[in-house]
Amino acid sequence: MTRKRISLLASFFLLVALTAGLLLPISAAGKVKLTVWGIDLPDDDPAHAYAKALVNGFKAKNPDIELDYVALGNDGLKDKVKVCMASNSGLPDIFQSWGGSVMGSYADAGRLLDLTKELKDIKCSEAARQAMTWKGKTYGVAPFFAIAGVFVNEGLFKAHGLKVPTTIDEFEKVCEALKAKGIQPLACGAKDKWPVLAMYMYLVDRFGGINAFADAAARKARFDGEAFVKAAQLYQKWVKAGYFGSKPLGEAYGDAQVLMATGKAGMHVTGSWMCAQYSSKEFTDQTIGFYAFPVLPGGKGKETDIMGMTDIGYAATRVAAGKKDAVVRFMKYAMSVEACSAEPGRICSVPGVKAPSRLTEMAAGVFAKAKAVQFWWDQDLPASVSSPLNDALQNIMMPEADVAKALAQYEELVTEMMGPVKKK
Amino acid sequence: MATDAGIILEYGRTRKKKRDWRGFVFQLLFLFPAVFFLGLFMFYPIEETFRLSLMRASGLGDTVYIGLENYVKLFTNEEFQQGLLHVFAWAFWSVVIQIPLAFFIAFSLIAFKNKLTSKLRAIYYLASIIPSAIVAMLGRFIFSPRNGVISSLAARWNWTWLANIDFFGDSRLAFWTVFAVATWTYIGFYIVYQMANIEQIPVDIYEAALLDGATRWQYARYVVIPMISYPLRICAILCTVGSLKLFDLPWLLTFGGPGYATTTLGIILYKQGFINAMYGRASAIGVIIFLLSLIFTVTQFSLQRKEGEIEW
Repeated sequence: MTRKRISLLASFFLLVALTAGLLLPISAAGKVKLTVWGIDLPDDDPAHAYAKALVNGFKAKNPDIELDYVALGNDGLKDKVKVCMASNSGLPDIFQSWGGSVMGSYADAGRLLDLTKELKDIKCSEAARQAMTWKGKTYGVAPFFAIAGVFVNEGLFKAHGLKVPTTIDEFEKVCEALKAKGIQPLACGAKDKWPVLAMYMYLVDRFGGINAFADAAARKARFDGEAFVKAAQLYQKWVKAGYFGSKPLGEAYGDAQVLMATGKAGMHVTGSWMCAQYSSKEFTDQTIGFYAFPVLPGGKGKETDIMGMTDIGYAATRVAAGKKDAVVRFMKYAMSVEACSAEPGRICSVPGVKAPSRLTEMAAGVFAKAKAVQFWWDQDLPASVSSPLNDALQNIMMPEADVAKALAQYEELVTEMMGPVKKK
Repeated sequence: MATDAGIILEYGRTRKKKRDWRGFVFQLLFLFPAVFFLGLFMFYPIEETFRLSLMRASGLGDTVYIGLENYVKLFTNEEFQQGLLHVFAWAFWSVVIQIPLAFFIAFSLIAFKNKLTSKLRAIYYLASIIPSAIVAMLGRFIFSPRNGVISSLAARWNWTWLANIDFFGDSRLAFWTVFAVATWTYIGFYIVYQMANIEQIPVDIYEAALLDGATRWQYARYVVIPMISYPLRICAILCTVGSLKLFDLPWLLTFGGPGYATTTLGIILYKQGFINAMYGRASAIGVIIFLLSLIFTVTQFSLQRKEGEIEW
């Protein structure tokens, strides 16, 4: 009798266990899992405020979606996405992307999810939509946009009776005046290579116009053409004149920020992502403003030609084809006024989001006047030639370097990778 | 005796045949995991690297066979030429500077032994176990152009000539600055290794040398160096092979710049493979590093064999 009772009890527990085992996956299956790879941690760092608002807000508003947000850092994200795209394995549903041709190469390889129809009603600036569109198809959203411009230490300028330059001649005069006062005219951070690019893009534009780069990238012109060489020579002339201080190649981007923040440098040509830090009273006690890059009298470029690109964007991969609804809900929330309002510095692409600081407002003002927007070259060119571009540009900061030779070598590489210049 | 030997031989043969078969199976069984994992994680990747080095591969799109084009392009590329030159220069100067310096410190610690010796040995070795990232941070802390220890002290003492030196930004100095940081961290291993070898020399040889009127440095020159010449050679080969694979410190300190002033084969490989997405070209660099390392490793083994023959 006892044995029978025990076996009955055991059978009952077995049945309960089996039923629970069968039911659990069903309840878990009701929740869609969305894997998102980003750069910033959703933590309390003020610079990560948007990532935190996005992750926490999305989780709270979408309890039926299990969000697995993985923060990989800038280089970590780039490397991991590149490797996973190449091997077509281990891809997330959504990844942070700057759009442009890098995203385009993934789209061409069939790795991305076409969301043109689903995202067409999202309100945003045209530049932001274009950045996430490749060959007529939209693959994601770009809630924040960054433009390059001139950060000016207005306090220093006022103290020394200087005016914010609007032409290259004025720019050189201001640099000379600052140098005479013992202030480094320009902060750069050339040790890290990529910070050299922002000013060079503008100089090429001011010499050759907005099409100078576009033509070279489309292989209608060479990268060692007149505008490129003249811009590099002018850049090198400024290095030799000491506008970037006595140790331009020894200073990293972080050093450049410190120079601006402590009033040791007068200007910094870089991206508007610095608005948050240059507005922060904890970071700097200087009064800093944001202005458009000066024009070159007689040059082809205009003040309204702006260099810029997606600052934060998200693109979806084909892995998420079966959960399009969850992906679209994430994209829409990423573009919501609620999430975007948490950002302390970047220029927002979403209408209705108030600029968080005077600096961001100034940068947004410059962006609003833009008639032509050119994407960051190192994001817009294929990966095989983007890093060598930054190497070549660091060369022009070396006083002894032959800039024409450095650009000719770069053109050789572009010819190999992207083909020769097409004859008209 | 002969019969016994024959029986034993016969017995041995028949037993051996059976034992061999079983032994063979067992050997296979025991070797299988090691061979499998070696094959999977070592030989297969090496074979794939060789194969990929003959391809144009970006990871996305088609992989195209291009023969030796990757190698031709590499050897005509200025960055690669500079990288190759730097690893050889690095290897040469490592052998010329690091090993004698390590010997000098190792011998001094033993010759002038006192209660600080063991602590100093630990301090020297500590530098070699610190992760490269921290070593690089320390290097930047010392040589940084604006807030570095050297520039700050020089500015305070009004030594403008020193304060104006751009250790990482001047292309003529950057290589030596990185080399100085590397010497500080790498030398610890060689000191401990050489100390261990010097301590193996019997004390009576030292005493005999003293009786013959030799000074400490004469003892070092005529007794110690010849007696530890083999470990010194091993140090030299380790230096050379390590230089060929050099990546971490130059990358963390200067990203290979300014220009190509501190670039190495390892840095170029990383950039081609992980930044430029040119996997074929990166594989070709991998093959070159592999072959150069192989040459030096074979040299190492042949020296070892030669040494063994001398001792025999």
